[in-house]
Amino acid sequence: MNDYGLRAGTPDVRSVGPIAFGPAGILFVADNAAAKVFAIDVADPGGEAGADSFELEDVDAHVGSFLGCDASDVLIQDLAVHPGSHNIYLSVQRGRGDTSQPVLVRIDPDDGAITDVPLDDVRFAEVAVPHAPADDDQRVNVTLSIDAEGEELQLPDGRTIHLSRGPMRTGTVTDLAYVAGVLLVAGLSNEEFSSRLRRIPFPFDGEPADTGLEIYHVSHGKWETEAPIRAFVPYDEGRSILAGYTCTPVVHIPLTQLTPGGRIVGRTVAELGFGNQPLDMVSFVRDGREHLLVANSSHGLVKIDCADIDGQEPLTEPTEPIGVPRAKEQLTGVIRLDNLGPDYVLALRTDGSRRHLLSLKVDSL
Amino acid sequence: MIEASWDAGGIRLRGVPAGTEVQVRPDADIVDLPPTAGRVRQDGDDLSFVPRFGFVDGTTYVVRAGGVVVATLTRPRPERPSSTEVVDIYPTTDEVPRNLLRCYVQFSAPMAQGYVADNVRLVDDAGDTIDGALLPADHELWDADRVRLTVLLDPGRIKRGLAGGSALHSGASFRLVVDPGFLDAQGIPLRSGSERRYRVGSDERRRIDPGQWILSTPPDGSRGPLVVEFDRPLDHGLLAHCLQAIGPDGHPVDGVGAIDPAERAWRLTPSHPWSSATYHLVVNPILEDLAGNSVVRVFDRDLSRPEDAPVPSGPATVPFRPRSLRKP
Repeated sequence: MNDYGLRAGTPDVRSVGPIAFGPAGILFVADNAAAKVFAIDVADPGGEAGADSFELEDVDAHVGSFLGCDASDVLIQDLAVHPGSHNIYLSVQRGRGDTSQPVLVRIDPDDGAITDVPLDDVRFAEVAVPHAPADDDQRVNVTLSIDAEGEELQLPDGRTIHLSRGPMRTGTVTDLAYVAGVLLVAGLSNEEFSSRLRRIPFPFDGEPADTGLEIYHVSHGKWETEAPIRAFVPYDEGRSILAGYTCTPVVHIPLTQLTPGGRIVGRTVAELGFGNQPLDMVSFVRDGREHLLVANSSHGLVKIDCADIDGQEPLTEPTEPIGVPRAKEQLTGVIRLDNLGPDYVLALRTDGSRRHLLSLKVDSL
Repeated sequence: MIEASWDAGGIRLRGVPAGTEVQVRPDADIVDLPPTAGRVRQDGDDLSFVPRFGFVDGTTYVVRAGGVVVATLTRPRPERPSSTEVVDIYPTTDEVPRNLLRCYVQFSAPMAQGYVADNVRLVDDAGDTIDGALLPADHELWDADRVRLTVLLDPGRIKRGLAGGSALHSGASFRLVVDPGFLDAQGIPLRSGSERRYRVGSDERRRIDPGQWILSTPPDGSRGPLVVEFDRPLDHGLLAHCLQAIGPDGHPVDGVGAIDPAERAWRLTPSHPWSSATYHLVVNPILEDLAGNSVVRVFDRDLSRPEDAPVPSGPATVPFRPRSLRKP
């Protein structure tokens, strides 16, 4: 059996962010505080996945009750569904400040039972997210810590204080996905404005090469921008990705043409309108045709037929909305998506103050 | 009579028969919530509930024994005075381009997560929040210590050719406001809110060209500063690490770099006297101005303008030579 380079131990997970399943039930977990991605064997309890839908109102209150905190202290960062068992995994920050704890929560769709994935003595591997912060950037903030953390410093009066030094330039992973031996990682820097889609070979073997790609896209045939990717989804068996940018376009990127360290111009196939952020994307098959579903910050879900992407000429007219034909679903407030088997898409939805898990039937999309 | 009390990290129950099922939940007005993860252990005549995840200060917990509510306890929240404040808001220049991309808020202590969206905003002269000006902060951009926050304006309103148009208007003013309700990492509000006011100029859509900068070179033999004046304000965060002087020996000049007010100049005060040889100012090409134009590329390239074409991405260098004070 392939162990994917995982070793038993206790990963030093400082925060949990975007998550995605890879091969053999391995969960990739972005840790933005540590600038790492962990690959964790979540030891999924398995069980035959049913073909049922799953609904859970007030998922933050349920998770909070299990974790012993108010719903307002449950910060759900991402969701992923185990492809075999359909168990639902949430990456959650419990609390907001110094006492904030990263937790991976598991929800059994059969009975709604909530457990957590212990992060001690698990099989895992880790990789640093390259260039976050940059290797050439030695700047640090020095802060005084009242906790016994950081470098110890003796004051002349005999008191001891602690200094912590953290890098100023950081990268934040906004989305990740696994495609055929490669982990794709999109992120946002807290300083320069750029798009680097990182390709990290998995298993993580040794130092990752800098396989960042600079991806430009062109708006309306007139203006070219290199902007951070906010969310993306591989499709066509990993031959392409559709990427949603912080500055609204939806861009087709042919994965097969990517060469490490290269520069590529993606093809803008849609503009989703200003003031809107693509939040998450998922691919599903209906009637034998692959479709993509995009969750947005300002309006309902957008459904795109993948065949239309291939046929879409690069956008040239500065009129909106424009681009690939797409259907807008009425459902608003959806912030995260994943496949719940072939028949459903699981959505995390907010109504402003509360969050809910609900299933969208593929046949009705 | 059942008594419940806080006990180290758990809840101690007196008067509950051994073997009774004990469940704890945070107080909530939703029914059928799962019990809080934890274990019950016998401690003499008492039972003790130890949560898997520590109890949270300020949270109220409902304790049931044998299905009956036996206690409601609120975890005390230590009272601490507010001490965290905004140290500065960057840029510090009075005027920003209409296509301003990025600001930074520097706090005096680490901050909590999840408060940016409700506590950082742009406000116009009438005192109204400018809706949709900032990029929604579902991914908050902090440095590793959570003391410096990066605030991005919505790039979708800076890019040309989109329907939304700019959130800022040339000739007008606005303020970047940080509300006092922003909690620090200890859960304490700021000592006070903070703001910085800006006048809005015209768009800035040119690449940074270090050839346009004015270098005031120090006398050789001195430890006077090299002063590099820019043709426009540059990004405060990137400036702090994108400039470097390389000596005649090929090594970086050891010294202290500092950013002038308004981000219009950078000065390097060396640790050792300058020699009379040729030095080079080396500019990391990722350096950006306030509108996201870098040394290599413009933020929003007009494909019809040849001068907007990206330049090779290696570092830019500007040679300089300390002045000789010796008479010829």
